[in-house]
Amino acid sequence: MVYLRLFWIFLRVSVISEFQYRVNFFVQLFQSALALGTGLVAMSLVFSYTQNLAGWTQPELLAVMGVHIIVGGLIKTVIQPNMNRLIEDIQEGTLDFALTKPADAQAIISVREFRIWQLIDLVLGSVVLGYAISQLSTSLGWLSALAFAAAVLLGGLMIYSVWLMLSVGAFWIIRADNFLEIFDSLYQAGRWPVSIYPGWLKHTLTFVLPIAFAVTLPAETLARQLNGQNLLFALGLTVLLLVVSRLFWRFGLRHYTGASA
Amino acid sequence: MSQTIKVDTLIKTFQVPEREAGLKAAVGSLFKRKYREVEAVKKISFGIDAGEIVGFLGPNGAGKTTTLKMLAGLLFPTSGQIDVLGYEPQRREKELLRQITIVMGQRNQLMWDIPALDSFELQRAIYQIPEGEFRRMRDELIDLLNMGDLVKKPVRNLSLGERMKAEFISALLHRPKVLFLDEPTIGLDVTAQRLIREFVAAYNQRYQASVMLTSHYMADVQALCKRVIVIHHGQLLYDGGLAGLVEKFAAYKTIGVTLNDPDLDLSEYGEIISNSKGQVNLRVPKSATAQITTRLLNEVAISDLTIEDPAIDSIIEQVFQQEAQVV
Repeated sequence: MVYLRLFWIFLRVSVISEFQYRVNFFVQLFQSALALGTGLVAMSLVFSYTQNLAGWTQPELLAVMGVHIIVGGLIKTVIQPNMNRLIEDIQEGTLDFALTKPADAQAIISVREFRIWQLIDLVLGSVVLGYAISQLSTSLGWLSALAFAAAVLLGGLMIYSVWLMLSVGAFWIIRADNFLEIFDSLYQAGRWPVSIYPGWLKHTLTFVLPIAFAVTLPAETLARQLNGQNLLFALGLTVLLLVVSRLFWRFGLRHYTGASA
Repeated sequence: MSQTIKVDTLIKTFQVPEREAGLKAAVGSLFKRKYREVEAVKKISFGIDAGEIVGFLGPNGAGKTTTLKMLAGLLFPTSGQIDVLGYEPQRREKELLRQITIVMGQRNQLMWDIPALDSFELQRAIYQIPEGEFRRMRDELIDLLNMGDLVKKPVRNLSLGERMKAEFISALLHRPKVLFLDEPTIGLDVTAQRLIREFVAAYNQRYQASVMLTSHYMADVQALCKRVIVIHHGQLLYDGGLAGLVEKFAAYKTIGVTLNDPDLDLSEYGEIISNSKGQVNLRVPKSATAQITTRLLNEVAISDLTIEDPAIDSIIEQVFQQEAQVV
């Protein structure tokens, strides 16, 4: 309850400060539209040569793209800004403030920042996804919708855990920013279903950076068939990653010395 | 009076990577790093009472911040005991964190783009302060610091002094019993410094809070602290009254004389620090003060004579120039 309240107040404060930079809204709109446009062009190029890609039809791939944009938007709204702030705080020693608060420090550092303009991607992605679904032959029940929401949530939590572990690396290696760029470029690979990639990359995208779970799986639950087994597996992996990342965070804290000690 | 902070034979060693200069060494260190142990804090013990303001002095790198961070639970001690309000800080228990605060002059926690007033709400949520209590405390602090409507302006539009005042409000909303202030007046102008000082004194009086203050401005220390703890090279050099520090470490005194004959040369009596129109300041060894004063009075025509301790700044400087010796 306390943490829900905290989440709400941080969100409120972020909205207040984001509204001071309204120009960002338009910049973001332009950027998102551009990204969507190039994505669509690339996809139509592929389908001018073939009718399916490793077993995926065009509407199915469009659904994957929609989910990719939605999840990417969520990452850029919450996960990325908070993790960047964490690394910054570790570098500058301002993490001290978060650590001397009578609340769970991990909870605080995870919900301090919100980039609300990035939510444009959420809208855009939903439009793409909606169109893709309308092109599919299957009809959607509330069960698949629910499964989809669960899959996105689990995927988001997995990405959060992995990202947290990478950021905690900043306790030892002060310049952890570089890791995050690797993450970003790998996330771009998630625009296509993970199953089209060669084995090593597929496994990396599934287990090391769980993009398969964050993007491909939710899209699959909507565009193809709800696969309960996969969803259950995702749940297990999420719990595991949350626990491991928490342990790693606490381990990292013991090594925190703060800048200019 | 009860002790709020107890520190017993505290030691902190850091492992620092050792690297020689040059490209070859840099590449080598990618694979195999050599570590060197640095003792930042070496067996420090002291206690602080409720309601006491203690100046924590030492040159850069003496171990002040390391000690403060251990007291605030940010660093794990290598060995030794710390007790703050009955808790071990490194366990970071909520009950303790609710009663302490940390203010750092060089680092801010208020959000840059929004008014301080909105950031205060965050503090209220984090510390779970009841609404009524929160308002009372907030308004009291705003009043004490003369902030008025400034708390409604975005923090980035405030002056450095105003920002620091807002930081103080934010850090004290939960009415902490122990305050760790790390260079709280750094970079501020004289007026703002004085205001902050008066505020800290007022808060300490009103709530009987313990305050540990590090500052490079001796004016802060002189105005606020009856007691100082001096550390150097991680060791405790002195713990006691500010007056005692002067007594113990000042090797010189300053004799000021007003001469009847402005042209008289007094250099045989001591080192002349200043001389303007017969107003001469002499620096003399402390032990010889009485003897030199007698000689001056007997041998020179003088209309006035004063004996003063040197300024605290210069004493501190002198202390730090000495190698560390345990007292």
